[in-house]
Parts: sequence; C-alpha cells; structure tokens
Amino acid sequence: MSDVLLEVKNLKQYFNEGKASEVRAIDDISFAINRGETFGLVGESGCGKSTTGRTIIRLYDATDGEVLFNGVNVQDKKTKAANKDFNRKMQMIFQDPYASLNPRMKVMDIIAEGIDVHGLASSKKERREKVISLLETVGLNREHAERYPHEFSGGQRQRIGIARALAVDPEFIIADEPISALDVSIQAQVVNLLKELQEERGLTYLFIAHDLSMVKYISDRIGVMYFGKLVEMASADELYRNPMHAYTKSLLSAIPLPDPIYERSRVRTPYNPKDHNYGSDEHVEFREIAPEHFVLCSDKEFEEMKKNYVPKES
Amino acid sequence: MKKDIEQLPQEQFERVHIDSSKAERIEKPSLSFWQDAWLRLRKNKAAIISMVVLVLVVLMALIGPHLNGHDGTTQNLRHANLPPKMPGIEKMGIMDGYGNLSGEKVDLYAMKKVDEYYWFGTDGLGRDLFTRLWEGTQISLLIAFVAAMIDLVIGVIYGGISGYFGGRTDDIMQRVVEILIGIPTLIVVILMLMIMEPGLMAIIIAISITGWIGMSRIVRAQILKFKNQEFVLAARTLGSNDSKIISKHLLPNVLGIIVINTMFTIPNAIFFEAFLSFIGLGLQPPSASLGTLINDGFKVMEFQPYVLLFPALVISILMIAFNLIGDGLRDALDPKMKD
Repeated sequence: MSDVLLEVKNLKQYFNEGKASEVRAIDDISFAINRGETFGLVGESGCGKSTTGRTIIRLYDATDGEVLFNGVNVQDKKTKAANKDFNRKMQMIFQDPYASLNPRMKVMDIIAEGIDVHGLASSKKERREKVISLLETVGLNREHAERYPHEFSGGQRQRIGIARALAVDPEFIIADEPISALDVSIQAQVVNLLKELQEERGLTYLFIAHDLSMVKYISDRIGVMYFGKLVEMASADELYRNPMHAYTKSLLSAIPLPDPIYERSRVRTPYNPKDHNYGSDEHVEFREIAPEHFVLCSDKEFEEMKKNYVPKES
Repeated sequence: MKKDIEQLPQEQFERVHIDSSKAERIEKPSLSFWQDAWLRLRKNKAAIISMVVLVLVVLMALIGPHLNGHDGTTQNLRHANLPPKMPGIEKMGIMDGYGNLSGEKVDLYAMKKVDEYYWFGTDGLGRDLFTRLWEGTQISLLIAFVAAMIDLVIGVIYGGISGYFGGRTDDIMQRVVEILIGIPTLIVVILMLMIMEPGLMAIIIAISITGWIGMSRIVRAQILKFKNQEFVLAARTLGSNDSKIISKHLLPNVLGIIVINTMFTIPNAIFFEAFLSFIGLGLQPPSASLGTLINDGFKVMEFQPYVLLFPALVISILMIAFNLIGDGLRDALDPKMKD
C-alpha cells in the first residue's frame, strides 16, 4: 500500500506576493497519496482546497515547494512531450457542471478533446467508438454524443465531465468538489460511479469536498485544511473516531444527522483559532500523535494530545 | 375504500414496464446554438421585416443604377432641376413632373420639352437622382461594410490578445486604448482627412482609426469572462495549447457578441460617413454617397424637397433596419441578457 503516487512537499501558493493584498492560499502543506487510494481534502470555503488541486495539476505555478508525481517534480520546466505525458496521467473533474462544458461544442467533441490533443485515435471511426464506449462507461448512451451540454441535467453533465477526464486514461484524478453542485440523489450516483471506476481502472483520487459524510464514504484517508494549512490528517475512520485538532472537532460537530432525537441534543463546537494561544517562540508543526495520524500543533499541545489520546473503536 | 380497490376488475389493468435503459433518453431534437438562435430570431417580426427590407435596399443599390438607362454622372443642363416623374404613378397626382415655378404648379417636363422620365427627378446639373441615389447607397454601404470589417478584425485581435494574455500585456494595451479614446474622434478624423487625399480610402481609414476600440473592449471583456471558466481550465489540463483554446473554446463563445456588435457598427459607420460628407469632409464630386446627396438636397430643401427626401429616406431605412436586426440578434443570441 505504501506505493506513493503523488507527494506534495511544503507546497506554497501565494497570490499577489509581496503586495498588501497578498493572499496565502496554500501555506506550506505536505502530504502523500498512495497509488489506488482516495485522499479526501476537506475544509471550509476559501481555505485553499481547490487551489491545492489546481496547483498540483499546474493550472497555477506554485510559489514554493514541490509536487512529485511518480517521483518527478511536476512544477519543473519540461519538454513538450513530457508535459503532454503528464497531462495524460493527471486529470481533473470540475466543480460546476454548468461551467465545465463548453456550451458551443457537442458532447462528442467535448469528450474527444483529450483524444484529439494526444492523438489517441487514428481515424474518425475509432474516435467515435472511443467516445461512445466512454459515454457508456459513465452510464450515458450513444445518442447523447450528438447533443449539446445544455440539453443535459447537472448529474449527466458531471458524468460527461468524468468521461472527458477518463478519455486520456489517467492514473490520477483530482475531483474538485465534483458533487457539491448536484442534488443529493445525484450525488450518490456520481460518487458511486467514481468508486466503480476506481475499482475497474485502479485510479487514484484526490477528492476535494466540503461535505464531510460524503468524504468519509469515499475516502481512505482525509486531510483537513484550514486557512491554507493542513491541520489534521488521518485515515477516514480514525479521523472521525478520534479527531484531535480543535478545528476538526468543530467540523465534525457540524454534521447534521437525519435523527431528530440526536439533532435536538447536538451542540456545535465553535472553533476560534485564537484559542490555541500560540506564543511567538512555540514551534507549530505537523506531528504524528498516533500511527498515521498527524495534527498541526505546538510542543505543548502535542504532549497534551498524546496524553489525552484514547483510541476509540467504533 | 379498501373493498372498492379489491373489486376493481383485474383485466382492465396493464402492467407497465419501465425500461431503465431509456431513462436517460432526450426526446427533443438536438439543436446547435445557431439553430436555436434562428428559431428565436424567426419569431421577431421587426427583425425579419428589417432583414427583408435590408436585402431589398442592398439589391437596389446593386441593380438600381442600371434600371432606367440614365447615367449618374452625365450632366445635362437642359434637364436640370426636374421634379420626379414616374410612369404609372404619375396619373395619381404625385411624381407627375409638376413642380413649383414662381408660385404656380406647372408641368416642368412639358415646359422644358423633356420626353424622358426622371423617376426621382434631377439635380441642378441635370443628373438623374434615381441613379445617383442607388450609386450613393452602394458607396455608403461599401464604406460601412469595409469599415465594420476592419473594426471587427482589429478589434477582435486587439481585444483578444489583451484579454487572453492579461497581465502586463493587458495593462499596456489598455493604456494605449485609453489614450486613443481620450482624443475626440472628430479631431482625429479631420486631421486624417487633411493629410490624406479625400476619397473612399480616406474615409474608411478615418472611420476605422478609432472605430475598433468599442469592439476590442467588448471582446476583451468577454475573453476575460470566459478564459477562467472551468471548460477552459479543463482544456488546459487536457493539454490543449493556446491557439486551440482560443479557436475552439473562446472564439465560438464570443462570436455571438461579435456579430451583434458588428450589426451596430455598420449603421454607425453609415451615419458617420454621411455626417462627414454632410460637413464637406467626405467624398468629392462627382462621386456620390448618401451623405453628399443629403448635403446637396439640404441646399435646395425649400424649392425642391424631393432632392433631400429620397436619400434621407434611404438612410433612415438603413439605420432602422440595421438597428432592429441588431436588437433581434441580441435577443436571439443572448436570451438571458447576461451581457
């Protein structure tokens, strides 16, 4: 399992660097994703989840840090061929199914875009067949190829977006909140499709979302982000059972359950970053408090957490 | 109640099987963006009538000068200042060749012993106004189309580069535009016409020299809007290069706005040309444009109103038609009026 596909090391992404309007969208985060697993990234709006995804796939140039994909730094300048190769291996599914498909193109051309760019089909017929088989993979049918995106529902569009990403046979897919714009019944459909595809094709996902229950369902490991920093990282079950960082606790306390009796007694724990009260000499860093369970904390907090850590089994 | 249901005759019911494979079917015929727009445009009566009128005017501009056998430039002083006379209509009491001569209505054709018909009359030099009108329309339309095309090409390229590449390129290009737009157009045009030989080319260049700015701004705004849309990001992650992104993703989406804007540029160019000709900076005689014809007519408005009437009518029709078509296209291409 420890076959690392993607490794992010001290990644930083600052916008308007050096100006008064500087935004530290990603502030020194590190994590690794193993081949074949799903890594969930959660956090509130604007905490840098999407920016992380986009920096990894090089839509943005990182301010500092490294992203190693198969051991190669993706941020390095490379030859055209190497770039194309990278584009094939890493793909992205976008958040808004209404904005992620070009309204002037037929579904056929949208899905075939990657095939055209990388010359994966030798003839028109082969191209067509590939697109149709991709459509069928995502649960649509061949008639849909000749239609325009506006004729589809949100869930169908999202599946077209998935088919487009799959067209180039990627190893790694960044799913940037692929379900947050869909209604609940369709969310399950899309998430299950992603799971099936993972089993069939051995895909690795970086799943960005803010819906905690969905992330727990799909992810093997979860990272929690807060204001550009990764505050906690653990396996999905471990994180839910033993949240250590105050922000994670607050996040988990915000999950509503379809249980009126529980809901009446549920108390949301607010999170205030000032509660940490870090002194200027305290060294705040990512520490492992239990095997494979990392928390952003200071020395003092680290000792306390270790003391208080009682592994709960559900 | 329960009993009633049990008593319902079994044979009258038929079990319906839902074929889940057809659940995703779309019944509606597939329409492309332009087909859809045409369906909407077709419902707009004003736009359709304007289109027909416009086609007629363009046709007349092309064939009109050859219809009545007169020449637009031949001067015939014996036939000067004749009122309109058209076969057929003359019996209805209008366009019958009668005109005012020192307060009295007299048949000027009979008086001057002219046998030919001048449908729209003649000017002070005895030139046939019908022929001159359509020749002038031709020139005006030509100037307008060429100027609009130049605006389109320069505006789209300039705005596209500025918007797509952004950053410092955009900053510099927009400052240049701001400087250009700060100079009053009329001053630029007058200066241009002073250094250039007056004529067709001079007017086209004069109109285009600042005319593309509007187009470039619109295109830039559109490109800025689209270039960070997720479908463009998706194309980028798939490895598409800039030229592919521009030609396949950005231009098709901006095209509607470009068409609409061009539809409004053309009448503006016609009007501007007429204005230049009217103030005497435009075409030089003997060539005619709608502007010079109106200028000629304006001088004799009190005595021979028909000299002014026909070119004024044609220019009004052109302006209204183009504007209505532009409006119709805007409604058809952008039904949500997002832009």
